[in-house]
Amino acid sequence: MSSSLARMRAFLIRLGRSVRRGGDATELESELEAHVAMHTEAGVAAGLDPAKARRQALMKLGGVEQVRQAQRERAGLVWLENLLQDVRYGGRTLRRAPGFAVTAIATVGLGIGACTAIFSLVNAVLIRSLPYGDPERLVYLFTPNLNLKIPAEVLCPGYGDYFDIQRDNHSFESMSNLVQVRFSVDQRGTTQRIGSARVDEGFFRTLQTQPEIGRSIEPEDVQAGHEKVAVISHALWVSMFGARSDVLEKSLTLDKNSYRVVGVMPAEFEYPFESDLPYGDSQIKSTQIWVPLVLNAAKRAEREPDDNVTIARLRPGVTVRGAQAEMSHMMARLDKQYPGDSKTELGPMRAQWGALVKKFTDISIGPVRPLMRLLLAAVGLVLLIACGNAANLLLARAAERARELGVRTALGAGRGRMVRQLLTESLLIGAAGCAVGLGLAYLFLRLLPRLDPGNIPRLNEASLDWRVLLVAAGAALFTSVVAGLMPAVRASQVELTEFLKSHGARANSRGHSRVQSGLIVTQTAMVVVLLAAAGLLIRSYIKVVTVDTGFSQSTVTFHLSLDGRYKPQQIGAFYRDLMARLEVLPGVQAAGAVNDLPLSNSESIGMIWVDGYPNKDFQQAEGRVITPDYLAAMNIPLIAGRYFNVSDTGRSRTTIINETFAKTYFPHRNPIGGRISGDPKVKLTDWGTVVGVVADVRHMSLEEQPQPQMYGAGFDGDSGSIAVRASIPPATVINEIRTTLKAIDPQLAITDIRTMGDWVSMASARRRFQTSLLTAFAGIALVLALVGLYGLMAFSVNRRTREVGIRMALGAERRDVLLLVLRNAGGLVGAGLIAGLACVWMVTRVMRSFLFGVSEHDPMTVVSVSVLMLVCGLIAAVVPARRAASIEPMQALRTE
Amino acid sequence: MGDKTDVWQGTLALMILKTLETMGPQHGYGLARRIEQTSGDLLQLNYGTLYPALLKLEQEGYVRSQWGVSDNNRKAKFYELTKAGQKQVRRATADWEQATEILSRFLAPAEEA
Repeated sequence: MSSSLARMRAFLIRLGRSVRRGGDATELESELEAHVAMHTEAGVAAGLDPAKARRQALMKLGGVEQVRQAQRERAGLVWLENLLQDVRYGGRTLRRAPGFAVTAIATVGLGIGACTAIFSLVNAVLIRSLPYGDPERLVYLFTPNLNLKIPAEVLCPGYGDYFDIQRDNHSFESMSNLVQVRFSVDQRGTTQRIGSARVDEGFFRTLQTQPEIGRSIEPEDVQAGHEKVAVISHALWVSMFGARSDVLEKSLTLDKNSYRVVGVMPAEFEYPFESDLPYGDSQIKSTQIWVPLVLNAAKRAEREPDDNVTIARLRPGVTVRGAQAEMSHMMARLDKQYPGDSKTELGPMRAQWGALVKKFTDISIGPVRPLMRLLLAAVGLVLLIACGNAANLLLARAAERARELGVRTALGAGRGRMVRQLLTESLLIGAAGCAVGLGLAYLFLRLLPRLDPGNIPRLNEASLDWRVLLVAAGAALFTSVVAGLMPAVRASQVELTEFLKSHGARANSRGHSRVQSGLIVTQTAMVVVLLAAAGLLIRSYIKVVTVDTGFSQSTVTFHLSLDGRYKPQQIGAFYRDLMARLEVLPGVQAAGAVNDLPLSNSESIGMIWVDGYPNKDFQQAEGRVITPDYLAAMNIPLIAGRYFNVSDTGRSRTTIINETFAKTYFPHRNPIGGRISGDPKVKLTDWGTVVGVVADVRHMSLEEQPQPQMYGAGFDGDSGSIAVRASIPPATVINEIRTTLKAIDPQLAITDIRTMGDWVSMASARRRFQTSLLTAFAGIALVLALVGLYGLMAFSVNRRTREVGIRMALGAERRDVLLLVLRNAGGLVGAGLIAGLACVWMVTRVMRSFLFGVSEHDPMTVVSVSVLMLVCGLIAAVVPARRAASIEPMQALRTE
Repeated sequence: MGDKTDVWQGTLALMILKTLETMGPQHGYGLARRIEQTSGDLLQLNYGTLYPALLKLEQEGYVRSQWGVSDNNRKAKFYELTKAGQKQVRRATADWEQATEILSRFLAPAEEA
């Protein structure tokens, strides 16, 4: 046995001894007895008289008591025994004051729970590593164009440019293109649209990920004729193939084509998630199927941006800035080398394709970082308020226990020991609070999927892992020490002479200490900050959901995609037939189709040239292709002219514009009859005539001002959305629609059935998420602060019973007493309110990016927060105040 | 009796172990006497300090104890060396010899220097 092992063994034995308590003191006792007896006998044998021999033996031993003490210290761990004693004592005192214990534990539990819950969220979203090798080296490569009035992160390099960059660059270790696609998959009798991606052979290598079964997409898969292979997600493997090991012998049918399964990805890999792409397909929450991206020669040479997303991995040591410099240089060269075909719509822009290298994590996590910080700040305040409350409770309790502590000091208890004892108590409260907090956090995580706005990455992966547990424990320790230290130190500073002079009754007869008042004022100030933040978010949320979207929210919509059986020339007729059938359904007022619904995150932008307007280059408008009755189905109000009718769907080029378009390009003149074309350099003769002006529609987002929009009749795409307006409940309409579609073609894949109200709700989900969370925390903080205020007032009334009794004996009315207490509480709340509002004035600036339609100094929020705080504060003070007012003077005077 | 030395820190354990090795199982009193005798009565030993030291050795697994009967028919607790204890004696002895050897070189008169 090595000596360190021996020491370990000794430690464990001592530990066991300490925890077990008691032990075998008698054994040592008899051992020592035998020792002394033997020594005495030896002395007697040497001729000493027995008494003297025994005395000598004892002297030689060095004192029985000292040996016992030394043995005891060696047998167990003294510090541990002391600690256990403190814990047992603390536990007993807490059990004897259940009201105090429950309030303190609940308070601390709420604070820790809020902290733990939000940290588990932040942990999942920001801290936990992503399953993509080193994600910090992943970048997206975009080609912004100054002349296109769209965000810079929409377009990636055209394939021609991409292959040139891939060949010549020195910045990237590997590069890849992906194209999002939704496949219809038959699963258990119903057709589902499953989020998928066409990916090239570099995709899995760039993301540094391997299939858990089989292989990934290889170079030979992206050759035409070999592309009918698929890699599937772990989730799909489980749901479609029952997690069977023979999955590689199976195939699956995507859009009526059979694909052989060649690989299964690990469970955590479903890239791209919706939030991973800056302007991805909002219908694809996560990716379940990866198939080869096959490019023919024409595509490979194409210089115009397509719908691909380019992701690359930086070489070790290459910075984003370095890559950016190289890409800018390369794109400038390519722009010069390929001046572009002026006959295509984007051709004239060739000279302006730039380069933008952006970190993957900035795209994926960047947008939610401020929200996570806001939530962390909010729960931090909640935790501080909980600390304040616990401190106040402990202070009040210490005051009540002044007598006990005084007696203990008088009996010789050391100050250090007393502080340790009191701290142990607050640590016990912290530990219990930690347990409560973890329970609350667990409940929160159970609730979280229901709050999920859908665009916070990996929100559903939030769980209580070791990091979260560590934070919870840390929060508990912090609370215990912060809340416990001050009361402990103060309580241990009992002035013995003072204490004895005051007949052991009360060393401190003030109602409550300045420290306690200060805590209440601080807490109130923090609550005011939280309430103001929540108030501003609530006001913003109301503004967002009541924004005039321009369409009717009761309209039922669904997505329809037509497979290869429908030839392009048949599609127009198909829609005409479908709309006619839908419109005769009972209760249906209008039905129409559109390429992209509002708020569906899809936009098509076109160049325009307006006849009779001082045109500039690169004027753009959002374009929608519809069937004639779409506008009526969406209930988009007509402002001038007329809606489309059947005659517009043919060769006649008519167009309907929105109000913003009319105001921008037809100022001071009647837009009806006006002529609009695509870019003049391309097709100046191809004029469309304006026949109507409709209201603005919020297409991109609820929070952005509508852009100029134009509608064209004659939609005939193989994938589009249908809108149906009816006077009967949506559920009924949906049933009728299903029946009708089944009658037309039972194989039609219809998905995303929802009302426009649902779309609005989805578009405002993030806002709802942050608003409800922050409001909940503000609410918790308010309750905590009110509990604190109530506690302090009750405590103070209790302590001032005698004073109140004297006042009343001297003629004070009950009303005066009531007012005395209320004034006291009002003063504290008022001071807190003023301090809080001052903070609000300074800090709400950081919230500006979260607000919509309200200023950060919104007076209405300030006023309502103030009123709420004062009213709640007074309510919390009323009960103690009434108790004070009901004091019987005679009884009060007799209490001491 | 003026020149007795206190037991140096850490050496008592080795003395106990070594004594147990030469004498075999022994009770506390016997050990104390024997250590004192071996030191030629040069050592000032408080017999009581032996017991915590024995307890420590027992916790470390170098000795074990059991109740038995002494020469004069008295019930006493006997300590004996374990296997680990025997190893520890060898190790500690070697360490100690090395330490004294090194030190003695410093203390010896400088002949060759």
